[in-house]
Amino acid sequence: MNINLLTIEGLWTAEILAEELGYTRQSTINLLSKLKKQGHVTAIGNKKRLYKITAKKQLPRKPGLYDILNKYNPNFQIMPPYDHQAHYNYQVENALVDAVQTKNFRVLLATLKLFNHIKNWKKLYALAKEIDVWQEIGALYDVAKLFFRVRKMPEKYRKNKFKKWKYLILTYKTKELIFNSIKEKWKVQIPFKLGDLRKVKYVNS
Amino acid sequence: MLTHDDQLSLLKLISKQLKKNITCYAFGGNAMMFYGYKAETKDVDLLFETIEDRDEFIKAIKVLGFQQSSPINVYVPEKLKDKHKPLMFSRQDYRLDLFVKKIFRTKLSPKMKEDKFAVHEFEKLRINVLRKEHLVYLKGITNRQNDFDDIRLILSKEKNFDWNYFIEEVLWQDSQGDTWALMDIEKMLKELKEYVFIEEKYFKRLYDSKK
Repeated sequence: MNINLLTIEGLWTAEILAEELGYTRQSTINLLSKLKKQGHVTAIGNKKRLYKITAKKQLPRKPGLYDILNKYNPNFQIMPPYDHQAHYNYQVENALVDAVQTKNFRVLLATLKLFNHIKNWKKLYALAKEIDVWQEIGALYDVAKLFFRVRKMPEKYRKNKFKKWKYLILTYKTKELIFNSIKEKWKVQIPFKLGDLRKVKYVNS
Repeated sequence: MLTHDDQLSLLKLISKQLKKNITCYAFGGNAMMFYGYKAETKDVDLLFETIEDRDEFIKAIKVLGFQQSSPINVYVPEKLKDKHKPLMFSRQDYRLDLFVKKIFRTKLSPKMKEDKFAVHEFEKLRINVLRKEHLVYLKGITNRQNDFDDIRLILSKEKNFDWNYFIEEVLWQDSQGDTWALMDIEKMLKELKEYVFIEEKYFKRLYDSKK
């Protein structure tokens, strides 16, 4: 059975693939099993199995930034611009710091839900200080606190005074009055509007 | 030969030896393994943006027992005269080709930086994997044994190869002074035409750019 895998790339059931190839169901299942061993097939579901076939080998993934953002934002999913994988103990704290650096509007909105899952404030502070984004993270935390459940940030990390103004996204200034105090405290411009936050907060809006 | 798992383990080990954060770009057979195009490769090709980053990387691999080796017999003689040829390090079956700033005359283009396929992080080491069009371009200009086979392999596993994007990269590199870009790629495309359908318009764009 020499088949050009490019011609059968995609999602299949065993029956439909058998019909397409002109094989019996059993031959098709044997073929799928062989391709699965070679890494070209993954099976999805239990009752009615779907088979995802690719010409390239399907490699196991390690979770990265977008996996964490999407895990904690089930109703506000982000399409990753590239496949980010971290081959070490990559946690919410790492994801938050990486997310701020993307300067991407949707990614920044998605970070707000992460503050309820911060376990190690010391680690977050150290990571953020290393690349000088603590101001931005502090401001995002205060925005998140207004709309979502968050874990309490220890007071010692809130005492910093900042002089230099920063943008979460370059040239996007604060437009909502509700964010003015946060803007002044952290010297960070908040680009969000209330409607944006509603999208993150409410299901299917 | 280096398998995908070997590569991940090696990069993890290197990362543990690094004293500062380093970003580099993968573009050879090792990048093809990140895609799942092939199961093993002879070498790991990496491009660094600064000499300092490459030096730090070299310090780390020396601790792991890698020693500098000669690029003779790996690259064609005319490439070896180029000042941007790689530093090569080997340890038994593993070989690392380390470029800095340029891959021979090819610059790290803005599109290579922006349109990554993947980012693999290993604590202090960040590997950006280039897009398949860039992989084919760079394999087209490095001219090593097996590079042509790798190009055929990529194209045999990809439905959506963006030829327009590929040609734009060639023309950009040519405009930046890579005098080999057009010649090498035209030669590669002509050979490739024997195996893959390539529309004539793409050749025309290459020829027109020289008028």
